Amino acid sequence: MMNRWLRLSGMVALLAVLATIPAVFGPYYTNLFVTFAIFAVFSVSLNLLLGYTGLFSFGHAIFFGAGGYGTALALKHISGIGLLPAFGAGVLAAVVLALLLCPIVVRLSGNAFAMLHLAFAQVMYVLALKLRGITGGEDGIGNFPIPPLTIPGVASFPMKDSPQNFYYFAIVILGLSLWLMWFFTKTPFGQIQLAIRENAKRVDYLGFRVSQSKAVIYVVSAAFAGVTGSIYGMFHNLVSADGSLGAGVSFAPIINIMIGGIGSFLGPVLGTAIFQIFEELISRFTDKVELVMGLTLVLIIMFAPMGVLGVARTLKQKWFPAATGGDAPPKK
Amino acid sequence: MDPITAMYVAQGIHGLAYGMVLFLIASGLNVIFGMMGVLNLAHASFFMLSAYLGFQFVSLTGSFWLALLLAPIATAVCGVLMERFLLRKVHAFGHMGELILTVGVAQILLASVKSIWGSESLPLKMPPILEGQLAVAGLNYPIYRLFIIALALVVLVIMALLLYKTRLGMIVRAAVSDAGMVNALGINIPLVFMLVFGVGIWMAGVAGVVIAPILTVFPGLADQVGMDAFIVVVTGGFGSLTGAFVVSVIFGLLSSYGIQFVSQFAPVLIVSFMAIVLAIRPHGLFGVKE
Repeated sequence: MMNRWLRLSGMVALLAVLATIPAVFGPYYTNLFVTFAIFAVFSVSLNLLLGYTGLFSFGHAIFFGAGGYGTALALKHISGIGLLPAFGAGVLAAVVLALLLCPIVVRLSGNAFAMLHLAFAQVMYVLALKLRGITGGEDGIGNFPIPPLTIPGVASFPMKDSPQNFYYFAIVILGLSLWLMWFFTKTPFGQIQLAIRENAKRVDYLGFRVSQSKAVIYVVSAAFAGVTGSIYGMFHNLVSADGSLGAGVSFAPIINIMIGGIGSFLGPVLGTAIFQIFEELISRFTDKVELVMGLTLVLIIMFAPMGVLGVARTLKQKWFPAATGGDAPPKK
Repeated sequence: MDPITAMYVAQGIHGLAYGMVLFLIASGLNVIFGMMGVLNLAHASFFMLSAYLGFQFVSLTGSFWLALLLAPIATAVCGVLMERFLLRKVHAFGHMGELILTVGVAQILLASVKSIWGSESLPLKMPPILEGQLAVAGLNYPIYRLFIIALALVVLVIMALLLYKTRLGMIVRAAVSDAGMVNALGINIPLVFMLVFGVGIWMAGVAGVVIAPILTVFPGLADQVGMDAFIVVVTGGFGSLTGAFVVSVIFGLLSSYGIQFVSQFAPVLIVSFMAIVLAIRPHGLFGVKE
């Protein structure tokens, strides 16, 4: 009972903090926080594949980009479309793309899966640059209208000129996504994903369909990546090949996951926070993003391969041997 | 000879030359993967580094041949150092650790060449003896492309002889099938790994120097050519040199005729080919199921 109250009051406190961020910290840090939230949820969506199913993708940006371009194209070409339908169009684009790819990719794992996604991401990137008529080439799609969020008969919240309203919209959508993914990993189906990661053959012998299960998690992960891509596009009012489809977009969540710790659900969120703060500080001294990214990856994998949470877990086991670890055991 | 045929032949030579360069990169990648189980995502970055070093050697000494000799060796030394001091340490953490480490190294190399040589395309002049065209039976062949094909074939033959006719090659082949067993027989496998890694990087380095006069030297080189090389390895089948060779040639021809006929969508053509192959054979054309 005590525990439940504690958790409830913790939730209320968290919501209160989230609600007051725009008022307390001002626009710059609010925008920084939205970027953080977008990439945190994006990283968690990749971690559904990486940490929970053992499928390593170097091209998760394709779904992020599909979400962004889907929403931007819908807002640009369909006049009078509402905010939520346009958002839905982006998610739908990511889901359709995942459905198209999954007959090929679910038969693969390990290196082939990783490489194939690197290649897909490259093709999408090239296509986005070359199909100027649709995607706007290097310039991307910018300055599209962002309609107000309307609840018929109740209220209408303008989005275009009100960063504060957009902040609440983004946080609610991203928070819901995070909660849904959390819920998803706790279902029996989510447990099958862990089992596939550990021993796919045994799962097969137990009578579960490995390929089909992989396909489902693949589409779910893509859908949430589409959610974040769509929000990101609307947040910047710009969707471009470099910003939404480039290699950096694929690598960022991998770095976040590695920093935070690959085995746990909230590890990527922590990793995103750490990397964002790190990047914010670093960018005041140097503009060599690649060098920082590369060095971070090398140092982490050399010295803390299980991320910050992994280090914390090791220390915890050392000091409090009786306590048990997190929700997903670390991968051997 | 009518111009249409001439065009087909010229594009064919271009395609073959590009295919051979791809094969030089892909075969190193493939041998490293087959033996150590490491997919070296920094491979293409070493290829780019070698092109830059080649540029540097040419501007220092003025000799293309010296650059062709020295740049790949210098690059291979960098590669061996990375294997010895970074890759070997994360081997215990499995594939994911190695992939991430090599991505990290690739990023560092990219940042380094950008800060040393800048982001512009640097020209590397081909030696005068290889300029111009060779006229045979009424057709003109660009000499430099023929030189690339010949050089790649020479490297290929030397490698095949080393691999199949020497004791060292026998050890390498045995290590590909079971490294632990060979190690237990008293052969220093980490040393063999280091050697194979170095040779693989050296081949990519040769490719980097020879392609530089055609493509010029720029930071996007690793992405542009490296991506094709990775696709070759995936499509040909991990660990299969025959697959890498066949697919390299197919890709070279696809991309040169692709540029001729569908211009900007040539990269899409290559990836579609890969997607079709993988949809039918998930382990690649010549790959064997693990």
